[in-house]
Amino acid sequence: MGIEPGRLQFSWVSSAESTKFVQVVTEVTQAIKALGPNKTLVKTMPEVA
Amino acid sequence: MKIVQIEKENWEDGLKKLAETYRLFGPVKEADFHNFKQLEAGQLPDLSCLNTRLSPKSIIYPQTEVMFQYSLDENEEDHHILKEVDKDYSPRAVIGIRPCDAKAFELVRLNFDTAEYKDPYWLSAYEATTLVGLACESPCRTCFCTSAGCGPYHEEALDLLLIDNGDQYWAKIITDKGEAFLAAAGWTVAVDEESALKEIGDKKKVAEDKISAFVKTDKLREIETNDLYNASFWEEVSFACINCGTCTYACPTCWCFDIQDENRGNRGCRIRNWDSCMYPLFTLHGSGHNPRSTKLHRVRQRFMHKLKYYVDKYDAGIQCVGCGRCIRQCPVNIDIRRVCGYMNNVVASKDACDV
Amino acid sequence: MVSYIDKIKEISKQLLEEGRVEMVIGFRKGTVPMMNEPYFAKTPEAVEHFVWDSNCGINLCNYLTNRTEKIGIVAKGCDSRNIVTHIIENKIKRDQLVIIGVPCKGMIDRRKISAMFEAEIGEVIEDGNTITVKGADFEETIDKKDVLQQNCAVCIHRNPVIHDELVADPIQEQTDVDRYADVREIEALSPQEKAAYFEKLLEPCIRCYACRNACPLCYCPTCFTDESRPQWVGKGQDPTDVSTFHFLRAYHCAGRCTDCGACERSCPVGINMRVFTKKLEKDCLELFGWEAGLDPDVRPPLDTYKPGDPDDFIK
Repeated sequence: MGIEPGRLQFSWVSSAESTKFVQVVTEVTQAIKALGPNKTLVKTMPEVA
Repeated sequence: MKIVQIEKENWEDGLKKLAETYRLFGPVKEADFHNFKQLEAGQLPDLSCLNTRLSPKSIIYPQTEVMFQYSLDENEEDHHILKEVDKDYSPRAVIGIRPCDAKAFELVRLNFDTAEYKDPYWLSAYEATTLVGLACESPCRTCFCTSAGCGPYHEEALDLLLIDNGDQYWAKIITDKGEAFLAAAGWTVAVDEESALKEIGDKKKVAEDKISAFVKTDKLREIETNDLYNASFWEEVSFACINCGTCTYACPTCWCFDIQDENRGNRGCRIRNWDSCMYPLFTLHGSGHNPRSTKLHRVRQRFMHKLKYYVDKYDAGIQCVGCGRCIRQCPVNIDIRRVCGYMNNVVASKDACDV
Repeated sequence: MVSYIDKIKEISKQLLEEGRVEMVIGFRKGTVPMMNEPYFAKTPEAVEHFVWDSNCGINLCNYLTNRTEKIGIVAKGCDSRNIVTHIIENKIKRDQLVIIGVPCKGMIDRRKISAMFEAEIGEVIEDGNTITVKGADFEETIDKKDVLQQNCAVCIHRNPVIHDELVADPIQEQTDVDRYADVREIEALSPQEKAAYFEKLLEPCIRCYACRNACPLCYCPTCFTDESRPQWVGKGQDPTDVSTFHFLRAYHCAGRCTDCGACERSCPVGINMRVFTKKLEKDCLELFGWEAGLDPDVRPPLDTYKPGDPDDFIK
């Protein structure tokens, strides 16, 4: 669709796996920050005349 | 009345001069078909186009138009106030509009410019626009303008009518705006009016004789609304319809819209978008009731509006100019000519009482 | 294929005379070249209006959704697969239908043919494998196989997969077609190129919803585009809203789309939106070995969970 690989990630994390949760969230946040702000399919206000 | 001759070799230079005064719009080919677009610097309108896929109504009446904007941020000066959005109503000119599409604006105007209500956006845009029409020499098989109150050389709503005359265009001046347009282009060579008018009259007849599609509308006014409404042919007519918005969006005389707000965070805007009576939600009430909940209701409504309600309300003929776009583009080939024929042939029901 | 019409009429008349169905859904001749209009016949006399030729690309299964009568329906290969999907999804019952199956060699692409000629087309005549296109001052004969609808050119299910009657003997299925050449080309682009590609593809879209409404799969009582609490997609021409509509609609058809081409055929501005659904079709084939609408007794993979379902994308 034009969204970079790595911007959307999937993971199974059980509510009992708190350490894994912290790890996944940290990794994904870092990965997305490295990609920079998303420019595809972003709408703030309608861009029309 | 004057007729000015424009040598085709002077066409491009004239357009360049015009671009200093007007925003120019004309038919432009994109992919496999033409649409009206704003012309870029040096871009010529493609006048070989028979007619555009969509009507030029979007020049006066855009599909999506922001009306107001607002901010709830109390640090901003105008917070909590609906502010009008800046619009560009500087002069613009549409070059190469066909007489059917031009007349359509006048039909729509009856709705948007009444004593009681005026649509300020539509009117401001319309009044800022100069319509430079192009007479039709090769009507399509789906054109039925001559029986829809119009014709290949019809002048209603046009400021100028261009007639292709081989190496020149003849520009028939119809209004002061048209005259101003010619002056701005530097096209000022007049020709002998009488002989030119005679020739134009002959060409007009040739073009009108080429029209091969017709609708009969003579009985629509007198047939009782209920006889039309309760006629038995609607099931057959509406069966194929898929309730998309193609006919509505392609039609130069359709005008319905939907207004809603879109917001994000503490900013927002109020926009209006084209809407279509073909969509199921068009008549959905807040209560949940929908008076046109079936396809038959909606298809019937469309044709009743175009061929009966408008006729009765405005006494200005049918709400159709015979451009044929709905016929060519309907994905399931529902044909207004066929439906008009059914409607015009409805016989008063035997149960009608003479009250 | 033009000879099918006699058999279609014969079967339809018989069904109506015997009262086995209340209506038969087929086509009647259109009023412009290369178009036919979906039409129902409720009497044997009305059956005389039926036509069948290479302009019958509309998917008639679209007209079955939620109907309660007994219906006869003329169905090509793709249409029949949509009928199977309808049965699986409870939009019609098998015993309501008498399916008049039509082995199909492909429908012609009216936009492609119109684009080949500058002047207006007056008449298009079909004769076996050739199409003759006539206008006011031209006449040209072309090979039908050069102007087939794109989905028909790569079709691998030309014979109805379900039917009560068949109007002709089954024809040979095409075997050496590459269904996903165009999808692979897009897959090979970088994310920025893809974003640009889709933006350009969807630029002419006017949100008429002809694609959605022509599709037999799109039958939600309230489409996601019409939801307002919350509003998922704006109704205007903002490019993000337009893209969202097309992407999301394709996702809703994933694992269900039979590539009948009704969406592309109905689009008034000629957008090739099949690229979306074909990508998802390719994914379903590769990930689940699934083709939509082949067997009314098997539930689709996006409906069911099997332990072997691919999950290597989940960390």
